[in-house]
Amino acid sequence: MAERLFELLFKYRPVVFARGDLVFASPWPLIVVLALGALALAIGVTAYRRTGAAMSARERGGLLGLRIGAVAVLVFCLTGPALRVTTVVPQQNFLGILVDDSRSMRVADGDGRTRGALATEMLAPAGPLMRALGERFKLRVFGFSETLGRADSVGALTFDGRRTDLTEALAAARRDLATVPLAGLVLVTDGADNAAGVLAEPLLALAADGVPVHVVGVGRETLTPDVELSRIGAPATVLEGTAVAVELAVRAAGYEGRRVPLQVEDEGRILARTEIRLPASGEPSTVRAHFVATEAGPRRVRFSIPLQDGELIAENNAVEALITVKRRTERILYFEGEPRFELKFLRRAVAEDKGVAVVTLLRTAEDKFLRLGVEDANELAAGFPRTRAELFRYRGLILGSVEASFFTHDQLQMLAEFVSVRGGGLLALGGRHAFAEGGWTETPLADVLPVMLERTARADTTPFFTEVTVELTPAGRDHPTLQVRSGAEASAARWDSLPALSTLNPVREVKAGASALLLGRGDGGPYVVLATQRYGRGRSVALPVQDSWIWQMHADIPPEDETHEAFWRQLLRHLLSDVPDPLDAAVSVDRVEPGRPLTLSAEVADSGYVRLNGADVQATVVDPAGGEHAVPLRWTVRHDGEYEATYEPSLAGRYEVRVTASQGGQSLGQATTYFEAGDVGAEFFGAGRQTGTLRRIAEETGGRYYTPANLRTLPEDVSFTESGATVVEHRDLWDMPVLLLTLVGLLSAEWIWRRHKGLA
Amino acid sequence: MRPALLVSLATLLATGAGHTVQQSRPAESRAVSAVVPPGRAFYFTRAVYSDYRSRSRGNWSTDFPKADRQFLIGLTRLTGIDAFEREHPMRLDDPALRRYPFLYAVEVGAMALTEAEVAGLRGYLLAGGFLVIDDFWGSFEWANFEREMQRVLPEYPIVELPLDHPLLRTFYAIEEVLQVPNVWQGRMGGPTWERDGYVPHLRAIADEQGRLMVLINWNSDLGDAWEWAEDPHYPLPFSNYAYRLGVNLILYGMSR
Repeated sequence: MAERLFELLFKYRPVVFARGDLVFASPWPLIVVLALGALALAIGVTAYRRTGAAMSARERGGLLGLRIGAVAVLVFCLTGPALRVTTVVPQQNFLGILVDDSRSMRVADGDGRTRGALATEMLAPAGPLMRALGERFKLRVFGFSETLGRADSVGALTFDGRRTDLTEALAAARRDLATVPLAGLVLVTDGADNAAGVLAEPLLALAADGVPVHVVGVGRETLTPDVELSRIGAPATVLEGTAVAVELAVRAAGYEGRRVPLQVEDEGRILARTEIRLPASGEPSTVRAHFVATEAGPRRVRFSIPLQDGELIAENNAVEALITVKRRTERILYFEGEPRFELKFLRRAVAEDKGVAVVTLLRTAEDKFLRLGVEDANELAAGFPRTRAELFRYRGLILGSVEASFFTHDQLQMLAEFVSVRGGGLLALGGRHAFAEGGWTETPLADVLPVMLERTARADTTPFFTEVTVELTPAGRDHPTLQVRSGAEASAARWDSLPALSTLNPVREVKAGASALLLGRGDGGPYVVLATQRYGRGRSVALPVQDSWIWQMHADIPPEDETHEAFWRQLLRHLLSDVPDPLDAAVSVDRVEPGRPLTLSAEVADSGYVRLNGADVQATVVDPAGGEHAVPLRWTVRHDGEYEATYEPSLAGRYEVRVTASQGGQSLGQATTYFEAGDVGAEFFGAGRQTGTLRRIAEETGGRYYTPANLRTLPEDVSFTESGATVVEHRDLWDMPVLLLTLVGLLSAEWIWRRHKGLA
Repeated sequence: MRPALLVSLATLLATGAGHTVQQSRPAESRAVSAVVPPGRAFYFTRAVYSDYRSRSRGNWSTDFPKADRQFLIGLTRLTGIDAFEREHPMRLDDPALRRYPFLYAVEVGAMALTEAEVAGLRGYLLAGGFLVIDDFWGSFEWANFEREMQRVLPEYPIVELPLDHPLLRTFYAIEEVLQVPNVWQGRMGGPTWERDGYVPHLRAIADEQGRLMVLINWNSDLGDAWEWAEDPHYPLPFSNYAYRLGVNLILYGMSR
């Protein structure tokens, strides 16, 4: 509407002014025009001077101003103003029309019609748009999804592409049309790119060539009504029996506040089901799906929300993750500095857990130790490990009530390196010799712990003691470790009803970057009850209470209650999560389209977890048909001990990647990981029109952004280009209606004013 | 090293150094929270229970509190346990008993538990508590105790503790089960048995995983050996054994 009004007043559309340069082409010399203007002005001034006292100086000035304005308009018209624009020579130039051929074009968000149908109708060969374009240009029609391909017409497109790669489409079109005079490109798409290419590259190249890209955005920005579930993070590998939390993003429109079930399945078997509330329209919200990994091996876990009434896209209600569930026993060293019941009940809580072995070293008296759960007579025979090799055998370390002065300086450094270098999990328990009370404040371990230790000893020598009523923090509420019941609500309710514990360590603050999961209300509190953080390659956890066994023994706890067991089982698994082996293998994505590359990677270290750059690292990729493919991995140079290779699967199905490493003929171990090749369904996620991306493409190349509703001017707009075979035109401006209206307006105003004063 | 330490400990007790022993005995269990400072790692908790031939203050209180206190002196000197130094009696039907996972009971030959005590003790043991029984003699008292335990843990049998059981290696290596006599017979050097309890036994009730819930020291009296360890007339080998076994019992109860 605004553009039409502009054209009515200024004779041409804004694009002509934007593209053109202002020039003056008067048949008379400029001096003559200016002299005529000055004469007209002088007459006016003289006439008004004669009016004398009939009007005030202010009125005289106003009338003179109107006269000057009118003369100025006339002078402007006499100078012969014109726009110099460059336009194409008809039929001498090519125009590339790039139409999105991906599956997202099947979304029926155009009043019941699909985006593809709308594009087909819009670009029908006999339609007005194509006819208008065809009169000016030689047209080349392309369909694009993962790649760009020539099409006879839009009607030949099937809208079946599995990915949208705008970067590749624009780059390929530029290459394809490099040898012909190219006036520009017209890109018809929803912009839902899922190839993550570097769009700036083709845009810079096209801008440098002067090839404008005119973009026609189809589809709606927000799909209504629709529910979309997407994955944010999922562990690649977990220990069998681990409580897993997978972060999911839920985006919904049209179902605000509706409660829907979120279901977790492991290849058809339901693992968990919880109820979530759908967020407000278009706003993404994060939810966590909790389940226990009970089956060993590579498991394809599916998260889904049932199809709601009237949903535009059914396929985006489910998302999958390939999670490798390891069946092995991981060993944790628990060093306790004094006999206490926490040790007994901790060991009992995980005694039935086949995935975790708690090797216990209990200092029963000075220099006297009780060993429990050792593999052989030699293990820990000399007490706490004195070498890194001895300590780094364990994947987790629990430090009980033991004073820092028990350890040598090297052992203290070793404890810190257990987390930062070896990547192990460290759990510090509360007790009379733990934390600041155990003299840990100035030790290397103080840096590792997720909590702040008091800098100075307390003046009061009476041991600190308080009971603490434990409560979940918001982070703890969603944390897998604290899911002691099936379902977040049931878990939270259980935490609210657990009996109080006690602490001897007034730990009040967590470090920046650490998460407090449990807090305790008590005298002078709140106190930190459970906190965790990543540190270096590993993880540290603080549990500054001394009697979690109360959750097992208390009279209010029924005999069949498993809260204590679940808490410890999951806490130890949290401690063990992501703990590296000397050789670890990984893939960049767990599902990839056949024919698309993915990155195989490995991290290689020796038994002391010193990273090795000169290792011989080989991957054997076993395809779904059983074929084996040898892929050597090379050191990335970016990081010590990091090796990578690219692999393109050709078959659909599950692939096994076995990685071996050796150095100097000595094996450094082997590791196995998995990925799947198949339809990733990317087109159904984030399928709303990406207007921002599309505008950027148009603006950075000198094109314009259109919607199907304002396509009328496209053919003419495309004509104003400096690319291809062009001619220069001059378009007169002196006869713009706006000038006439202004002139008439100024003169009329002057006349009416004069008449009002009795001068006319 | 340990026997030498025990000898010195016995000497220490005999000379009366260390702890002041009070002669008065409480008539009944006290409210724990009012008396006991919280936050210690270990409380030597003595079971207060009902019986049918009660002494004026109950069979549970035999050797109380001197045995408890003297044993605690030894325990804290021999081990690194942060133990509350005083006696700590509690009723079996007191819900707060669950805060003390080690329990010591004596003279159970006349035990006659109320239903509330049965329920309290059963819940305690199934939750993970460890009960040590001491100082009861002969087949008659055994029969009574066995009957009471049948009420508490009917589904669990009482079994003989083998000499290679980890309990007997937890701190000290104990190679044989000694019969520890009461103070009078010990001083006199007379027979060590009472009634028809000629042979000492260590018996136990274990849970499904083989972890001991109850340890039964039958035909033997550790309590007197602790109580009279300072008496120069009480034979040192008996108090030595009693301390060794006592320490092992507690460390087992705190670690398994």
